Amino acid sequence: MKALNVLHLYSVRVRARLLQEAFAIVGIAAGVALLFASQVASSSLSSSVAQLSQGIVGNATLQLVARDSHGFDEGLLAKVRHIPGVHAAAPLLEVSANAVGPKGHESVELVGVDSSLSELGGALVRNTKLQPVAGFGAVVLPAPLAHTIGVTKFGNEATFEVGGRVEPAALYEQLHAKQIGPLIQSPIAVAPLSFAQEVAGLGGRVSRVLVQPARGREAAVRSALVALAAGRLNVESANYDEKLFARAAAATNQSTALFAVISALVGFLFAFNAMLLTVPQRRRLIADLRRDGYTPRTVIAVMMFDAAVLGILASLLGLLLGDELSIHLFHSNPGYLSSAFAVGSQRVVGAQSIAIAVLGGMLAASVAVLSPLKDIISRDPLAAITQKEGGSGKADRRLAIGGVVCLAAATAILLAAPKEAILGMVFLVAALLLLLPIPLDATLALVRRIAPAITSAVPHVAVMELRAGRARAIAIAATGAIAVFGSVAIETAHGDLLHGLENAATDLNSFTDAWVSPTGSYNLLKTTSFKPTAQAKLARLPGVRAVRLYRGGLLDIGERRVWVIAPPAEATPLLPASQIVEGNLQRATAEVRAGGWVIVSQAIADEHHLHIGDPFALPTPNPTTLRVAALSTNIGWAPGAIIMNADQYARSWGSTDVSAYNVLFAPGLSPARGRAEIAKALGSGSGLTVETAQQHANQQRALSRQGLERLTQIATLILIAAVLAMAAAMGNMVWQRRPRLAKLKLEGFPRAELWRTILLESFLLLGVGCLSGALFGLYGQQLLDRALANVINFPVVYSFGILIALGSLALVTAAAVAIVAIPGYLAAGVPPAVALQD
Amino acid sequence: MLELRDLVKHYPAIGGEPVRAVDGVSLKVEPGEMVALYGPSGSGKTTLLLMVATLLQPTSGAVLIGDRDVSSLSEKEASHFRLSELGFIRQNFDLLPGVTAIDNAVLKLLKSMRWRDAHRQIAPLLERLGLGQRLGHRAELLSMGERQRVMIARALSTEPRLLLADEPTGSLDSQRGREVLELLTELCREHQVAIVLVSHDPQAAAYADRVYALRDGKLSDYEPDQAYVRAAAQ
Repeated sequence: MKALNVLHLYSVRVRARLLQEAFAIVGIAAGVALLFASQVASSSLSSSVAQLSQGIVGNATLQLVARDSHGFDEGLLAKVRHIPGVHAAAPLLEVSANAVGPKGHESVELVGVDSSLSELGGALVRNTKLQPVAGFGAVVLPAPLAHTIGVTKFGNEATFEVGGRVEPAALYEQLHAKQIGPLIQSPIAVAPLSFAQEVAGLGGRVSRVLVQPARGREAAVRSALVALAAGRLNVESANYDEKLFARAAAATNQSTALFAVISALVGFLFAFNAMLLTVPQRRRLIADLRRDGYTPRTVIAVMMFDAAVLGILASLLGLLLGDELSIHLFHSNPGYLSSAFAVGSQRVVGAQSIAIAVLGGMLAASVAVLSPLKDIISRDPLAAITQKEGGSGKADRRLAIGGVVCLAAATAILLAAPKEAILGMVFLVAALLLLLPIPLDATLALVRRIAPAITSAVPHVAVMELRAGRARAIAIAATGAIAVFGSVAIETAHGDLLHGLENAATDLNSFTDAWVSPTGSYNLLKTTSFKPTAQAKLARLPGVRAVRLYRGGLLDIGERRVWVIAPPAEATPLLPASQIVEGNLQRATAEVRAGGWVIVSQAIADEHHLHIGDPFALPTPNPTTLRVAALSTNIGWAPGAIIMNADQYARSWGSTDVSAYNVLFAPGLSPARGRAEIAKALGSGSGLTVETAQQHANQQRALSRQGLERLTQIATLILIAAVLAMAAAMGNMVWQRRPRLAKLKLEGFPRAELWRTILLESFLLLGVGCLSGALFGLYGQQLLDRALANVINFPVVYSFGILIALGSLALVTAAAVAIVAIPGYLAAGVPPAVALQD
Repeated sequence: MLELRDLVKHYPAIGGEPVRAVDGVSLKVEPGEMVALYGPSGSGKTTLLLMVATLLQPTSGAVLIGDRDVSSLSEKEASHFRLSELGFIRQNFDLLPGVTAIDNAVLKLLKSMRWRDAHRQIAPLLERLGLGQRLGHRAELLSMGERQRVMIARALSTEPRLLLADEPTGSLDSQRGREVLELLTELCREHQVAIVLVSHDPQAAAYADRVYALRDGKLSDYEPDQAYVRAAAQ
């Protein structure tokens, strides 16, 4: 058949089934939209970090990096430039700061640069007039940030709070998208190096030197840099930050990816349900073409044309819908990661996200259109419309065996290899789909068994109708099952994780009554250091029992940016009891208090093959080897954590700076009163913030919730999609059944009875699907909990989220039945004469 | 039992005279009586039956069952009438695909009877109609004749007072056709059911108490030698 004829054939057929085709397009588009939106959300954060990193480093491939926020002497720059083979080298000072303006404040990365950075060609400085800024003591800000804090005109003054210092800085200019492209959304403030040093109180210091080696000289330059670093600085590739971030965001991204797949599956089932509407027409066409002598190949070409049109239109619509979803629902929220990385709020739509979504749409369309493939290639030309004798018992048995095997595989993973939990989830989804016909058939059999006790035709007709359209019934039930499964598994595991994180937050605040630390939301982990000049003053305040020095920071170990927690040695309790997973708490406390010992997250210990008592060489500014006293969870920080005492921290970092004052109140002084007293004593320009332990714990909890917000969004969206998918599929199924309903009316069945029948059918179908999904979802919760605990080492509190499961089950079933009630009522009003038009 | 009083059904026609599908038909059928209507295609036979079955509103006239005019029943009352008082046999089309023969046959019994009891009650009738081996087969797997017999079983299942049969033997061989007509006659006699039968089958006339011809919507006496009867019989 000529291509034009295929097109003509399509156009004449599509006119006859425009509504069904439109419904199928919407179905596939819903799946594409879910997949696309979650893809964009998960790739945006990583892309944001990569864009900023690449925007700064340009053509540099190597860098010399400081191990702490104090940086290193900028005199090293000259030595780097003298290394043979270095084409260009540029110094950089990066400090976390709080930018305050008349309209608000924002946490930013203050980046100090000099003119040599432009030699590297990074997008950030390529079109930025940095040179004239020098000497003015001014900063340039991306336009959105400038507007947020209300510093928009040349000479307007912003205040930068950096490590307990408060420094003013005038705006030189706003950076616009035409200058720096997508970096416009990055939380950065660019200043001349000398001015940034002055603001940060780090005169003559830089945090890294970016190096562009001459072609073919990278290895030699790296060796020379390692020698120059002398074990006190890191020599890394220029994209090191991207690797660190990828590791830190892996947990979120993996969960997002998993649930993106579940979303796509829901969308696919939605589409499949929609496609079932046009199956009779397609089967008729297949039989007609084969009877008229066309080969299976031609028929497949005709069907593939259908699939291509359907897939392309649905993918385009899906991309548009997904784009809206990602803008309005799936915000890329950096959450807790912004404590350690400069993450922007840009939405990055990569080619990969588009490709995956379109591929999913095309695949769904092809699978759905080619579902009667066996009949197309059959030797019997009329196979597509020939009714086959015999039941589907054999196929059902095969499916059930497959389901049991998948369930067994998931159980084996749960018991023996919890680290493979993601694979376990895949097995669980497969088991759910394969086993679903069993509870559905059992429920129908049960209804049929108990129905004789009821003097109504409603249950009989409902069972009869569901059995008559079994394939459609299973497809609809599967949609609900998968959606509730995904939602329950994610919501319950999410709850367990939050519970664990809240325990961690409580433990980490139990040794102090108040925190005094540098201002800024970037400093939630208490990782910014400052000179402890106010200790004595605070200690003299009435009602203050003691002021202890807390230290903490971020330390890059391999590709992990590890959170170092260093409470004062005299703190009680010194260690977060709920977070210790291996080791004796009392002994570990004594060892850490004495110094020379650390608590290490299980994942870090596993990576470095460490056991309790083993020595662990830390790449601190003063390289130190400490012994492992116990193993802990990651204390809520995905890359892992290390706990030591504050004195040990000072020795290893070679600095007496602190990250916070821990203030203990005398009995009788309320935390709120104590906080007010401290704030008053510090005055308004201290650059320090006072929080009660409760406030700080609440903030940590809020951030944990924020970090996991996307999972909740996805779970909610899956539920909404499922309700709509099932309601649409059921509604359409009911509407298509009008001739059948008319036949029943012809026999005298009244409208109300038919409506009740439709509602009962919907309830049975959705109830079975959703209940199965909820039960498997609880199983999935156990798998996910173990994955979070074993793979990412999160502090998870194991539980069974029965209430959440019941809630999701009831919500989806009730909402879908309620929605179906309307088309159901309308369809039940079909005139009996419609049956006569058959 | 059944009385049609000057029953009229006109369909409007664009730019012309209305089509007089049924034009002033009056007819009485007593309990235990079988009346056969003969007529060519388009003569108004089916329209007449649909009005009796409360599926079509007459333009004028009345359809009386006893003293009650069923042409003016509400939708709910009409449903109840069709379910409990009327049996309506049509050609092939009213079976539910995907549903077994026996479940299709018991459909009307389910309103007032347990499923199992309904099956028990309908089984001998299906057996008698030659469907004993096909009870568990889905409607679409049955032959046309088998489907027609399932429809007959369904129509007879509630032992209606009035039975309308539109070509009840149309898809049956002559032997099965005779058996069905005998069954209808028996039912008519035993249970005092009034039957209105529309057919092309000349042997049906032999079983009917009265036979009429319907032409251009008007009822007239049946004359076996009329050309249209011969054509219909062929």
